[in-house]
Amino acid sequence: MGQIGRTSLKTIEWILLAAVALVFVFPFLWMFLTSFKTLPEVFQFPPTLLPESWQLENFRKAWESGPFLTYVANSLIVAVGTLILQFLVGVPAAYAFARYRFKGRNLLFGLSLIALMIPSQVIFLPVYVQLSNWNMIDTLWALILPFGASAFGIFLLRQAFMQVPDEVIEAARLDNASEWKIMWTIMVPLAKPVLVTFGLFSFIYHWNDYFWPLIMTNSDSVRTLPVGISMLKASEGGKQWNVIMAGNMMLVLPILAVFFFAQRHIIKAFIYQSK
Amino acid sequence: MKKISLSMAACVLSVTAFLAGCGGNQAANNSAAPADSSNASSQAAGDASKPIEIDFWYALSGKNGEMIEKQVKEFNESQDKIKVNASFQGDYYENHSKVLAAVAAGNQPDVTQVEVGVIGAFAEAKVLEDLAPYANGAEKKYIPGLMGNSYWNDKLYAVPFNRSTPLLYVNRDMLKAAGLDPNGPKTWEELRQYAKALTKKEGDKTVTYGFSTPIDIWFYEALVFQSGGEVVTNDGQIRFNSPEGKAPLQFWTEMIKEGIMKAPPGEKYNAWDVAKQDFVNGQVAMIFTSTGDLRGLNESAQFEVGTAFMPANKSYGAPTGGSNFVILANSPEEEKKAAWEFINWMTDTKQTVAFSLETGYMPATTAAVESEEMKKAYEKEPNFEVAVKQLEYASPRPMLPSYKEMQEMIMTEIQRAVLGEVSIDEALQIAEEKAKKLVK
Amino acid sequence: MRKAVASQELSGAISPAKEKKAAGAPFAWREKLRPYLYVTPAMIFFTLFFFFPIGYVIYLSFFDWTLLNLKAMDPVGLENYTNLVSDSDFHQVLGNTFVYTVSTVVLGIGLSFFLALWLNRKARIYGIIQAAVFSPHIISLVSVAMLWMWMMDTQYGLLNAILEVIGLPAYPWLTETGSAMVSLILVSIWKGLGYNTLVFIAGMQSIPRDIYEAAALDHSPWWRTLTRITIPMLSPTLFFLLVINTISSFQVFDTIYVMTQGGPVNSTNMLVFYIYEQGMDFYNGGAASAASVVLLILVGILTFFHFRFMGKRVHYQ
Repeated sequence: MGQIGRTSLKTIEWILLAAVALVFVFPFLWMFLTSFKTLPEVFQFPPTLLPESWQLENFRKAWESGPFLTYVANSLIVAVGTLILQFLVGVPAAYAFARYRFKGRNLLFGLSLIALMIPSQVIFLPVYVQLSNWNMIDTLWALILPFGASAFGIFLLRQAFMQVPDEVIEAARLDNASEWKIMWTIMVPLAKPVLVTFGLFSFIYHWNDYFWPLIMTNSDSVRTLPVGISMLKASEGGKQWNVIMAGNMMLVLPILAVFFFAQRHIIKAFIYQSK
Repeated sequence: MKKISLSMAACVLSVTAFLAGCGGNQAANNSAAPADSSNASSQAAGDASKPIEIDFWYALSGKNGEMIEKQVKEFNESQDKIKVNASFQGDYYENHSKVLAAVAAGNQPDVTQVEVGVIGAFAEAKVLEDLAPYANGAEKKYIPGLMGNSYWNDKLYAVPFNRSTPLLYVNRDMLKAAGLDPNGPKTWEELRQYAKALTKKEGDKTVTYGFSTPIDIWFYEALVFQSGGEVVTNDGQIRFNSPEGKAPLQFWTEMIKEGIMKAPPGEKYNAWDVAKQDFVNGQVAMIFTSTGDLRGLNESAQFEVGTAFMPANKSYGAPTGGSNFVILANSPEEEKKAAWEFINWMTDTKQTVAFSLETGYMPATTAAVESEEMKKAYEKEPNFEVAVKQLEYASPRPMLPSYKEMQEMIMTEIQRAVLGEVSIDEALQIAEEKAKKLVK
Repeated sequence: MRKAVASQELSGAISPAKEKKAAGAPFAWREKLRPYLYVTPAMIFFTLFFFFPIGYVIYLSFFDWTLLNLKAMDPVGLENYTNLVSDSDFHQVLGNTFVYTVSTVVLGIGLSFFLALWLNRKARIYGIIQAAVFSPHIISLVSVAMLWMWMMDTQYGLLNAILEVIGLPAYPWLTETGSAMVSLILVSIWKGLGYNTLVFIAGMQSIPRDIYEAAALDHSPWWRTLTRITIPMLSPTLFFLLVINTISSFQVFDTIYVMTQGGPVNSTNMLVFYIYEQGMDFYNGGAASAASVVLLILVGILTFFHFRFMGKRVHYQ
């Protein structure tokens, strides 16, 4: 194969790569462009690529269609609150699994792994009934508590804690440091990369979660952003796609921005499950 | 060691069981029988300094939703004894779900709007407050033809709010251009002829359909009424598996086969959105939709919009529709009284006239219909009076408790027939069997 | 299971209790209690929100009940299950779930495997493309659903516009019974392809280089290297993805709820949506819990296979 052959093969590959990237990236671009168009522009066929004028109006309309400040606040409270709870509950459990020998350890850890495989869609109905009996439906607690123990988090932290060299812990114990202190002031800082990984995973998961808040909440005061945005679909006389897309930008942009800056970390966070 | 882990497990399980058992009766504690409220208004102001707050969940969006928000604001500003917190929940289906879920969870709103066909289900579930003691005869102000879906088991559970009938909407410009009567067809046969004349094709592609309607239960009910039958009786007799129940489906499938009718895609109200969008874009010349869409369509359309009775088969006929105000039974006494105040105000002549003219829904009271303002408005915009006139031929929607689920099932089965998946006879047969199971 | 956990262990889990006892410190019993105390909060949460619900829903499936009135529970034995068996709608739901799952898993994993082979290279451009391919995975499913719903609009959507440009007929997408399922499968694959691809790449990169070098020395043709070395070495990854993707497909709800509501005419009604509709729209708690148990059994079977294989895998290495 001559030089020309090799170059043209390379070019073809570059074109194909671009096509692949386009398939995955263009829809976002379309969301972006649509969110700036006027309604008549949106309902044109064939559709125009760029908006004629960039309507910021759509964002205002989306924002004003409901108490969006509340929705954003709730999303943040739930994502951060869940993460904190998972941290407080998970660190001691992971530490115990990693560094202690106790009867039933393997059984309990095995149970945690089983919990890892149970998706929320399978148990939402009985959990709903339980929370209903405890009068917790339609509260932010219903969005946080069920996720308090993260099997994934405990799994990751256990791996990280197991990797800490014995000498470090021995030294601390000789210094008469309490186990509690060792756990929080030595193990946790050493596991920082894993904490970042897990934190990203959990935050993104709960920020994006639509199903659970949809089922567990009814009132505006506890709704989260994904649910609020999905309500943009309801409109007399036809869907206002430009406003709907504008609303979705609110949900998507923060995640894409974080992704842009922290690609490696995020990919690692989500792919870790395979190990 | 084993002992510790076993006893731990026992501990955890017992704590769980305890927590699962307790709580949960708060809803029951909240319900109270309505006291004698002949002086409801004076008693409502229990604590004169702070207004009583009540929650109102509503299900109208767009212009209609804005009108509700506007009137709620007016109510709040007009007095300082009651403050209404209005919150949009989605369409009727979504609002119903949420209200029922909230009742089960113990944090239901105080007042909401329930679609007329579902009131029986709500009443049977003991979710609604008996309104008679609050109304004390005030319910006589409502138009009698709109009260058909207000009573269940002889109790008054709901009063009219945004009431409608389905109408035939026509693009008058298109009809005139085709040499047809701009007032629209009057019978099924005329509808078919008009649709044929109005359908335009360019080669293989249909550029304009003469007619479109969502294959929705409400319009099916209408056509069954027009054929002299009914879908189901309120004591559970299944009536749609009959020539009268078959006629609408035959009519629709034939028109679709001829290529003169479009069945808009989408579930439930999504299909309505498509039909309305097509109408506004001039891709369909005539559609069925609610009178409640009149103001919105008027404003979006760049052509002259006309409304008319739904075409007659054996006779004119239509179900009433829209929703009624209800008060939730589990709310505290004080809030229920305040809720009645609010409902009464919202259906006062001034408010119901304004609401009707801003949306297209019918005015709720006789006084409103006969008011000077309304009469003048009707002269200026006769389209708004058509639904009121059609009331003469209208019947209430079925409202037996199982209808909430049954209507969705019937809708699915008749859609199968219209889509050509099964024959009409089969679809009606299957639907009848399923309906019988639901009634039990 | 125990073996798997044990063999993953590293040294160092010396019980401080034993240490302290050896050192003659008082309160050694406190040390014995310590790990249990540390593990308790997590176990409480797991019990409350995973294990108890599983038992509870199985219990509930033997009653006729409704969310409207949790006080009135009517024991009906196996009636909920017999109803499911005779319900043609449920048969349709199971069929739909099966078709959706098989399509999504086979296509998703198949496509991502080839994509991974292609993109598993060092040059920076490949890293960028990998990130691009992965990006849909971290976006909220509800946004993805609304975006595709708009692009799939039969009259004004981008996709039919593109089809028209290339001269193909417009596709009915979400509006017809067969095409609606195709549409949902397409969205699912689009969202998940990046994840599968990157997992494959990670797996490929953990294959020791010397094996490939040995194959090159043997002048092994690319397809033989692929089938005799790459694929077998990737079998743990492949198996992992199979299980994860399948369980994930069973969970599908958001796209159905946003895009089709189970329609047209129940053609995209699947297990989780069915449970939701029965329990929270039609207030038929009995049917919903029986269907939940069916889902539980399916997920349970998959989980069982996963753990059995995981055990084998650890020994394999």
